[in-house]
Amino acid sequence: MKNLFHLVRKDFVRKWENPVVILGFLLIPFVFTLIFGFVFGAEGEDTLPRVKILTVDKDKSFISELVLRALTQGDLNELIEMEQVEEEEGYRLLDRGNASALLIVPKNFGQSVWDGEQTELLLVKNPSEQFLPQIAEEVLDTLTLILSSLRHIFTDELNTIREFDELDKFPDEAISTLSIKVKNRIEAVSKYVFPPIISLKQKTLSEEKGEGSDLSIYSYILPAIAMMFLLFICNTVFEDILREKETGTLTRIRISPASMTEYIWSKIVTSALIGIICTAALIILGNIFFSISWGNPGDVALLVLCLNILIAGFIAFLYAFIRTERQAGALLTTVILLMSMLGGSMIPVENFPPVIVNFSKLTLNYWGITAFKILMRGESLAAIFPILICMVLAGIVFSVIGSFFLNNNLKKGIAQ
Amino acid sequence: MRMLQIEHLTKSFEKTKAVDDISFEVKVGEILGFLGPNGAGKTTTISMIAGLLKPDSGKILIDSLDLDRDLRKVKRLMGVVPQDMAFYEELTAKENLLFWGKLQGVRKKDLDERVEYYLKKTGLLGRENEALKKYSGGMKRRINLIIGLIHQPKLLLLDEPTIGIDIQTKLNIYEIIKEASANGTTILYTTHNLQEAEELCDRIAIMDLGKILALGTFNELIQIVGEKDIVIITGKFSIDQARSIISGFEQAALLSLEEGKIVLSLEASKNISILLEEFFKKEITIDDVSIKQPNLESVFLKLTGKELRE
Repeated sequence: MKNLFHLVRKDFVRKWENPVVILGFLLIPFVFTLIFGFVFGAEGEDTLPRVKILTVDKDKSFISELVLRALTQGDLNELIEMEQVEEEEGYRLLDRGNASALLIVPKNFGQSVWDGEQTELLLVKNPSEQFLPQIAEEVLDTLTLILSSLRHIFTDELNTIREFDELDKFPDEAISTLSIKVKNRIEAVSKYVFPPIISLKQKTLSEEKGEGSDLSIYSYILPAIAMMFLLFICNTVFEDILREKETGTLTRIRISPASMTEYIWSKIVTSALIGIICTAALIILGNIFFSISWGNPGDVALLVLCLNILIAGFIAFLYAFIRTERQAGALLTTVILLMSMLGGSMIPVENFPPVIVNFSKLTLNYWGITAFKILMRGESLAAIFPILICMVLAGIVFSVIGSFFLNNNLKKGIAQ
Repeated sequence: MRMLQIEHLTKSFEKTKAVDDISFEVKVGEILGFLGPNGAGKTTTISMIAGLLKPDSGKILIDSLDLDRDLRKVKRLMGVVPQDMAFYEELTAKENLLFWGKLQGVRKKDLDERVEYYLKKTGLLGRENEALKKYSGGMKRRINLIIGLIHQPKLLLLDEPTIGIDIQTKLNIYEIIKEASANGTTILYTTHNLQEAEELCDRIAIMDLGKILALGTFNELIQIVGEKDIVIITGKFSIDQARSIISGFEQAALLSLEEGKIVLSLEASKNISILLEEFFKKEITIDDVSIKQPNLESVFLKLTGKELRE
């Protein structure tokens, strides 16, 4: 036990004297989060960027102007940013990705509406964007439906307006008569429409609601990226085994009264402790700079402890199959990146098809991120307790297996 | 009193016998030099004594303890100074010495005293708080040695501790080794430097092809080549030409032979002119003739030289 303590202390002092690598791995998640926050907006879905729609009015009629103005009225103005352009310029800007969609009002659009003939608006979507052009399409779909309905309901009134429009005269008396007609028409229609006998009540499952509404984008990104870099940080401690083998210090330790088992466990303990310190640092930084609310401090501390036991054990387990620095570079990097990709450190697991999510559940990243999110939503320790138990048990099993094989490998390796 | 006792030690790697049934003993406080060409089996022998390798057969007793059965106890008695700089460069000299001392179980008070003593002895006191990566090669060698000695081991295994250092550092290291030996530490000293072995070691073992070819004091080993001089002749001759001349010259013993160079053991004052005449008779050009007193080099050549081995 004394030897274990001396070995852990030595590794700590070494890392303290040469902290560049760990600091680098620690800062990357922080910087990534900062950049993602700037790019996508800190408040997540609430501050979705406005949908930029370019418009080309080939008709330049009263009706075409009415349609285009309708796009920026009321609440829509917060959602849609509209810019009138010439057709050629519109296509050019769309190619450059300067807008989400291009709306073209064809010639004789107004005339067709007056005549009650079928006509079309053309919406060209930006293929490089996924969500925003979809929003533009939905909005225009609704708008065209409303306009078509209004055209049918107010046919007489619209015909009157058309006559005035053609004469370019709007006498006051005629307007007041028209207003009364429109009012009467609305009242007549209202009998059938109000009050609605069927209403839609919205309800979202609590888990989905929590994920979507409560957490900022930082709360998604920081734990996800931190999980990936924690794996790399723990790896730096185990990498030392290969370096010590090369420099001869491992041989010297082997000849000393310290056993190889003590040596290997010293690496596991050091790795877990450094992991805990780094996670704590990221949590504090996240709280200070991104106002992330991680949940109950005691619960979070317990999660950090269990998570780092799991990570240290897992890396020890991987090192059971590694003999050289080259192998370590290839295997560890591949495994960590693959786990991060599948486990939600790069892309949120919610975006994966269910088949892939089954694989995600085999990664450390998935469980780490999931547990952090549960606590962030303010749920109690009980909600993550099974995850914590599994983390500790898996960490111990990985450590024991890793220690056994690593011990054998090192004995053989030193002898060679 | 014996500190190290090796009995019929054997170790093979696949089909190669690295150590072939060797036996020897080393007394308390004795310095035994371990000489041999690369691949002779020295490192394998040292690795077995250090407990890094398990012998195929044979026994190793250290201070009467069986290495196989009492490995943990034996480890406390042993110190190792490998050829590599086996320490942590990012730590200071003091941090390194304290770490290795603690790992060997030295009590804090004793450890502090010893660290100070050895730092003073090696002229490094005052620089103990500098990271070792800032040290020169010679300074690092001194620290490498102190780490092996910090727990005052009964048996110290030294593997080329003076390789690539200046004469001043070398003398400093010799002094520390001699002092340790005088204090009762038994030392097994592996080196390629024959002069070093002559100067430092009480006895020398010459090893090749997994066997100990000779073991004794310097004077005992010299007897192997006798009282004769060592004659080195260089010139324009082939191996066959030189061999035919020597085979008819009974007074000379061949130590080593290669194209254009022959090393002989010969009573030079009486026979050198006769021998050279034989070369001239065959119209062989001689470039240089040198005559040396018998030394460890000649013993080594005689025992491990290629011609003799073949």
